[in-house]
Amino acid sequence: MRNYENLVIVKPTLTAEEIQATIAAIEEVITSNGGEIAATNAMGMRKLAYPINKNERGYYHVIYYTVAPSAISEIERRFRINEELLRFVTIKYDTNREIKAWNDLVTKANKTETVAAKEEVAPAAEEAPAAEEAPVAEEAPVTETTEAAAE
Amino acid sequence: MSEKRKYKKRYCKYCEAKVDFMDYKDVGALRFSLSERYKIMPRRLTGNCKRHQDMITAVIKRARAAALVPYTVTRKAVVTAPFENLR
Repeated sequence: MRNYENLVIVKPTLTAEEIQATIAAIEEVITSNGGEIAATNAMGMRKLAYPINKNERGYYHVIYYTVAPSAISEIERRFRINEELLRFVTIKYDTNREIKAWNDLVTKANKTETVAAKEEVAPAAEEAPAAEEAPVAEEAPVTETTEAAAE
Repeated sequence: MSEKRKYKKRYCKYCEAKVDFMDYKDVGALRFSLSERYKIMPRRLTGNCKRHQDMITAVIKRARAAALVPYTVTRKAVVTAPFENLR
């Protein structure tokens, strides 16, 4: 068994329920291949640094888990089939130093999760409709600030 | 060594902070080793040691793959401030 971390970017065009469903499907892929999920960290909807398949935004989700190294190729194969995923990044935590960092990240993710769980219920519902309207309004001022910063 | 140093002595900031592991999701921490155009800064300019430079290059490349940091910044694709939207 080895420690891994997977970051997945889900399409922003989906509704909140569909995003949760795809994330549940992703976690199911890991557990069905003998993986044990240690922690998850929903980074939420955010702007991509560059467009992927013409999408400017994406829903980030991070999963920390342990699994046998041989199962990774199968998990990645299943991820590639999934059309709701824009991108996934698999990181291996192998050396002693990395395993220690992995444990720290897991405890940190679990701690924030318990705190956020209470707060999440109210704002999550409000954010979803606002997020769809946001990009048009956001883009103009944001580009201006970067140009000013470059100068 | 009688001759005076003509430039400031460079040191590795990561060694000073005793960084053992870098997280690619922590984009604000990568800022130091990135140029204005999001290129990886060379060691001769930042003063990073070889060990930490190797770490930071791997981490930046991961962050690029995860669309947290842009690969390139051109006039057409002006970067829309990826460091601003951090929480």
